[in-house]
Amino acid sequence: MSEQTGKQLSKEEKDARFEAELLPVLDPLYNFAYRLTLDEDDANDLVQETYLKAYRFFDYFEQGTNAKAWLFRILKNSFINEFRKKSKQPAKVDYSEVEGYYNSDDVEGEGGVASTTDMRTESVQDLIGDEVASALNALPVDFRTVIILCDLEGFTYEEMAKILDIPIGTVRSRLHRARNSLKEKLEKYAKSMGYNS
Amino acid sequence: MESRFTETHQKLSDDGHESECDKIVKLLDLMIDGEASTEEQSYFNTHIEECVPCFESHQKQKLLKGLVCGHLKRVIVPESLALSIKARIQETV
Ligand SMILES: [Zn+2]
Repeated sequence: MSEQTGKQLSKEEKDARFEAELLPVLDPLYNFAYRLTLDEDDANDLVQETYLKAYRFFDYFEQGTNAKAWLFRILKNSFINEFRKKSKQPAKVDYSEVEGYYNSDDVEGEGGVASTTDMRTESVQDLIGDEVASALNALPVDFRTVIILCDLEGFTYEEMAKILDIPIGTVRSRLHRARNSLKEKLEKYAKSMGYNS
Repeated sequence: MESRFTETHQKLSDDGHESECDKIVKLLDLMIDGEASTEEQSYFNTHIEECVPCFESHQKQKLLKGLVCGHLKRVIVPESLALSIKARIQETV
């Protein structure tokens, strides 16, 4: 790679710019790390590692571009490349089996069009609200990831594709599978509480 | 890809109806995530006005998204984290 930073920043200037542009992302980044690792200490380590890497590559970060997406991408790569190995969380899902839902017929199943489960009333919503976290945490990490990125952090499909290094079509299918899975878990809960009979 | 949705759909047979609902199902996520094109949106909205199961699927999908963004508690960032990041960066040459 060539060095192309027009003027050389002093370390103080660089640090100040780094803090101003990237530290505001700390909160969503930590939450993302926590949802990936499901452990506060691990999230702490992962976020620190992410910021140190970002600092090392800060010269390649274009000012004014999407700092949040950039940091999320670094964090996700750290998680996959290094962190997952030492984490207690087993990596267990092979997505080659499940990504192709657009070609299969059975996907909608009970989670889809025909379902009659009613999760709409207020009381059920309140009760289920407490269960959302555990239902989400029970999902495979790649499913959890797309739901967090999309529903909690509001990234677009295009941003998610960049963060995850996958095509937009894969973002869509993974998100769809993830939501079906989440829906299933929440519906099971609703049924167990007697709201569907 | 888009042109598929510009055709006026007709409910001629059970088969036709089924595949129409299948298309709607595939648009559910795009709709709730604000990623559907104008054409897809009007195709979708026209369909769910007439089709109760798809209308309900849409409600349910919106609810699901709302549960995550509205009910999932955010974890609090430990105060020491920002400080230790700053400290480690200052040490870095
Ligand atoms: Zn329909």
